[in-house]
Amino acid sequence: MQFVCETSRLKDFRLTNGCDKAGKLKKFLLFTISITISSFTIADVGAGKEQFEKSNCQVCHDTRGPAWEESVDDQLSKKGPELWYAGSKFNKPWLETWLASPSPIRPMQYNSILKKNAGNHVALDAAGAKAVADYLMSLTSDAVAVGKITPKARAKGKLIFKKKMSCNGCHQYQERNEVIGGISGPSLVAAGKRLNPDWIYAYLMSPKVFKPIGRMPGLEGVMRKRDIKEVSSYVSSF
Amino acid sequence: MKNTTALLISLLLMAVAANASATQPNEVYNYYCAQCHGSDGKGNGPNVTKDFATDPRDFTKVEDMQKLSDEDIRNVILNGGVAVSKSSLMPAWSGTLSDEDVDGLVGVLRCISQSKTKL
Repeated sequence: MQFVCETSRLKDFRLTNGCDKAGKLKKFLLFTISITISSFTIADVGAGKEQFEKSNCQVCHDTRGPAWEESVDDQLSKKGPELWYAGSKFNKPWLETWLASPSPIRPMQYNSILKKNAGNHVALDAAGAKAVADYLMSLTSDAVAVGKITPKARAKGKLIFKKKMSCNGCHQYQERNEVIGGISGPSLVAAGKRLNPDWIYAYLMSPKVFKPIGRMPGLEGVMRKRDIKEVSSYVSSF
Repeated sequence: MKNTTALLISLLLMAVAANASATQPNEVYNYYCAQCHGSDGKGNGPNVTKDFATDPRDFTKVEDMQKLSDEDIRNVILNGGVAVSKSSLMPAWSGTLSDEDVDGLVGVLRCISQSKTKL
């Protein structure tokens, strides 16, 4: 009992007087390690940005937020999806793999409902894909609250997705071994591997923050918050 | 007098600019509606695959369109198919389109179907 008491006093002493050599050394080491990690992270992001620009990704992808589109014409002037919140939207392992070996996410060409996606997105080598993924994951949005959604394939989520809101009217998904659904929206096959569940929820709650103009109908005043949560959880389970 | 003229010119320019930035009804139709109803309005948009549970309305069918008032059309656009006991595949666009957009769409649908509003 006395030992415990002395230990706690010793802890308090270390915290308050700043004279403890072991404590100072520990602080110094922690500080040095954190500076080193930060430098590496900044360097990785810088190298990734350089690679991003070298590969001309910025020709089609906007990395500067917030969203600026005000009209259909503005949206149609874009050549590819905006990436200014990519770090909040994507799961990093998926992003890195996809950049090295891209395959169509949208059945149709971006912004088109007439032309099929040619599947000709530029592929990066492994090092380039890692660097660009590091950079893109550094682009985040405060509008995406962390820890709101857990992936779960509940019957209620399925009911909303298929019957109540008919999300499958515009989005493909996988049922058993078959890919079914509409093709004007991005495919949701394996969406849980690609998308951050919290981003799905944030997007469905406030789509205009991310995409002020889009073919997907806004759900504000149309769907209850708890139903949006449920369907976000369901789509994340794909 | 000079000030009044300058003010009128400014107002005129502002009105022209506002009109130029507004999305035209045809463009609204092509962007939002054609994905299911088709560019020609025949209910054959790219989403209508074998998995599509119901046929979207064919706007070229004059007899069917004549049965609808402008208010009926507005209601379906704003509140979706479920609001009129039809499929949820027709979503509610109230959170997306402005009243001006919806009025413009009613005109586009009347034009495609060559129908007039139900009296």
